[in-house]
Amino acid sequence: MRRTAPAFTAIALTLIALRPAGAQPAREPNTCATCHASVPEQRLAAPAALFAGSDVHRDRGFACADCHGGDPTAAEKSRAHDRTGRASTAFIGKPVGQAIIAACARCHSDAELMRTFAPKQRVDQATEYATSVHGSQLARGDTRVATCASCHGAHGIRLVNDAKSPVFAANVAATCARCHADPQHMAGYKLPDGSPLPTQQFADYRQSVHYAALTRVNDLSAPTCNDCHGNHGAAPPGVGSIANVCGTCHAVFAQKFEASVHRQIFDKGCVECHGNHAVMKPSDEMLGAGGRAICATCHTAGSADDKGAQAAERMRARIDGLKTSIEHSDAVVARFRNAGIEVSDDELALHDARTVLTLARTEIHAADPARVDAVIEGGAAIVARVDKNAEGDARELQFRRRGLALSLGAILIVVVALALKVRQIDRDRANR
Amino acid sequence: MSVMLQQTTAWLEERFDLSGVRHFVAEKGVPIHAQKVWYYLGGITLFLFAVQIFTGILLLLYYRPSAAEAYESVQFIVTKVRFGWLIRNVHSWSANLLIAAAFAHFFSVFLLKSYRKPRELTWASGILLLFLMLGFGFSGYLLPWNELSFFATKVGTGIAGGVPIAGHFLLRLLRGGDDVTGATLSRFYGLHVAVLPAMTTALLALHLLFVQRQGMSVPLETEHRLETGEPLRQMPFFPNYILRDVLAWYVVLAILAALAAFYPWELGTKADPFAPVPPGIRPEWYFLAVFHTLKLLPSHILGIEGERIGIVAFGLVAAFLVFVPFLDRRASRGARSPLFTVAAVLGLVYLITFTIVGHYAK
Amino acid sequence: MTRLIDAPRRGDVRFNRRTFLDALLAVGFVSTAAAIAYPVALYLVPPESGEPDTSSVVAAKSAELKPNSGKVFKFGSRPAIVVRTTDGDVRAFSAVCTHLDCTVQFKPDTSQLWCACHNGTYDLGGNVVAGPPPRPLETFVVNRRGEGADEEIVVSRG
Repeated sequence: MRRTAPAFTAIALTLIALRPAGAQPAREPNTCATCHASVPEQRLAAPAALFAGSDVHRDRGFACADCHGGDPTAAEKSRAHDRTGRASTAFIGKPVGQAIIAACARCHSDAELMRTFAPKQRVDQATEYATSVHGSQLARGDTRVATCASCHGAHGIRLVNDAKSPVFAANVAATCARCHADPQHMAGYKLPDGSPLPTQQFADYRQSVHYAALTRVNDLSAPTCNDCHGNHGAAPPGVGSIANVCGTCHAVFAQKFEASVHRQIFDKGCVECHGNHAVMKPSDEMLGAGGRAICATCHTAGSADDKGAQAAERMRARIDGLKTSIEHSDAVVARFRNAGIEVSDDELALHDARTVLTLARTEIHAADPARVDAVIEGGAAIVARVDKNAEGDARELQFRRRGLALSLGAILIVVVALALKVRQIDRDRANR
Repeated sequence: MSVMLQQTTAWLEERFDLSGVRHFVAEKGVPIHAQKVWYYLGGITLFLFAVQIFTGILLLLYYRPSAAEAYESVQFIVTKVRFGWLIRNVHSWSANLLIAAAFAHFFSVFLLKSYRKPRELTWASGILLLFLMLGFGFSGYLLPWNELSFFATKVGTGIAGGVPIAGHFLLRLLRGGDDVTGATLSRFYGLHVAVLPAMTTALLALHLLFVQRQGMSVPLETEHRLETGEPLRQMPFFPNYILRDVLAWYVVLAILAALAAFYPWELGTKADPFAPVPPGIRPEWYFLAVFHTLKLLPSHILGIEGERIGIVAFGLVAAFLVFVPFLDRRASRGARSPLFTVAAVLGLVYLITFTIVGHYAK
Repeated sequence: MTRLIDAPRRGDVRFNRRTFLDALLAVGFVSTAAAIAYPVALYLVPPESGEPDTSSVVAAKSAELKPNSGKVFKFGSRPAIVVRTTDGDVRAFSAVCTHLDCTVQFKPDTSQLWCACHNGTYDLGGNVVAGPPPRPLETFVVNRRGEGADEEIVVSRG
């Protein structure tokens, strides 16, 4: 890669220098399209059909010859496909490998040119690509790797924010998976340690909480392949840098993890516990030293020497404890609310207690039980206050019942007196 | 005290002709016989209705009939307003006791055949009043706008939609649209606090007027004995009977107060029109027998939807009830009418059985 | 028919019993009437929080909310936050973070609303600026009531 980069850059720059003087809207007629549209061979007709449909280049006035060269006014094939002449107009046929990169970069790495069409768009994709695994493989002559056309298409290209584009956020994973999930295509490639390159990343990713956020909740800020691996400069994040990658979004956790003992030990940072592609929604069960806890992968429950296991158990116990006491207080408060006692202050307090629970779950990433304890203390104090108020509420209920007993007493007096009075009046009448 | 009363009466007599009232107070009597205990039921129903009006007006002062505020306003009444919990709970419990008393009153009259000539109109107005009480129950139940009441209303109005021909129109009329929404709430509120009370006032006035003008009915056996010349044993309405009535009302009041304080009505969770229907949703107990019967009917009978047939059948029963006095020829003649007695008993047994079955069904 | 019972003229015992009964009845009626009138009277008096405080509440006194500061207050049974911007504009939002329901706070150094749980950040329009929250904060309507030093900031659901 390092050897070929300068050569490649030279080629790119040359081609840029020799570009058609100011790309201009295609001149009618465009015989390329006319001929190719009527050719029976699908291989030749399909590109013309695609390009005639929705294509971002065609919409801006580019035509076949602007990328492929040749003479778009010639009606006769040998003249249209003339490979001689100036480099900028010579027909190059279907570009393959580095030629694709060169064809695209001719315009897309030209800042002045791109400014006239899309001022905000970056112009370093080709340079980035050269740093990627795809780029370096291509430089070694491997044409099985992805090039510009593999992901963006060649004809019928859509803008990245067009939902039908293969590189639209929600579609990126499927596009990468076209090669990376195909065992036959990936056969022969190996990881640095010699084991074959895995192909189940897409399947894993599809189970993940990131994929769910992207596709079901339409949260386009959720990560897909390019967010962690890079875009044009795609490469797996290196050892030690995974926490940085995850930390771009999950900043608080990365911060706390940075302070923890695991930072020095873990090769792969966040991935050790949360996985890389199949990142699932975390739960309290992941914490602890026994059962389904992830800590149990390295730590042994019940071992006197394993301080890590003890720490994990302690943190889990504190979190579970707070969770249970919140649920208990919730039920008590609900009972009083239904009985008609004003409890909104307590409900607000329990809301704050739940905030503490969330904060504690973040704090565990520092792997220090003392820090988690400090956070939980706050929550426990809130719940204690709520429970104390509940005693007052119970007293209020008692007071009401006593009030009722009093009124019932008065009613009873009337009932008895009335019964006696009725008897008296009846007797009066009978004796009249 | 009685001096003051005499002075007031004298003052009024100089201005109004109180002879009717004087006559009523002096002469109105209540027959004494073995079945006289059933006389109290009408008064108890009336008392409970008065309690509803009183507590209802109090609730009106704070309640807000919009989908956005109804639940919160009830919560406000129950938690923030002093003794709001008491007023609300009394209103909810009294509603149930009122309907129970109304049914008891209805069945006692039905079994004692008090509807026979000359009291046909008293009966007809009474049946209509019973239906109005059920209407009060149904419309009032929605007003707290919680999950249970929302779905019970959805199911109930859905059944109304099963009425042949006019069903869809009726459903839209009740719901204020195709679905149960805030429009339904507004409509039910209007029904509950204005339309139904107005109709009830008119019918109740008639019902009470008839009762007072015609006096209390006596069971057939007593009537036969009277015809053979036996004198009618009576007690004066004032003060003997009225004191007993008041005694009964005080007992009911005590029961109400105890229920309100020991078994408070839940607030429930606020209605969410987009949430799925909770499983096992049912209406309140007074609709349970009819509801469960409709549920048990097969989906199709002779090609017609089973539920529709059920609705028509219940409609016919309701109509039949109104016309019972005109259909029961034997009772009008003063003869025994076992057919109608059996019908009444069967009706009572059916209602009780199906209410219990409906309550325990999954 | 002889009057067997002619209470006022007979012995003391009967006289007392009759009037005692009447007195008892009177006491009973009055006390039950009072037992009904007392709660009804208190019911009619409007409670301090005049309206359901899930729809409208006094968030703070105008004077105590300085520019570039915020205050969390209780709205119904959920927290809400009222903020005065550096320009003096008063805004109110639900303080329940749309991510996992933690309570947000105002950060004077960045003049943004921030959630300590997972670093969610909102601007002073309630919109998400950074972090995991999927939706903006619910905005409430702000009004002023009263004058001078007693001016209050009233927040309602809108």
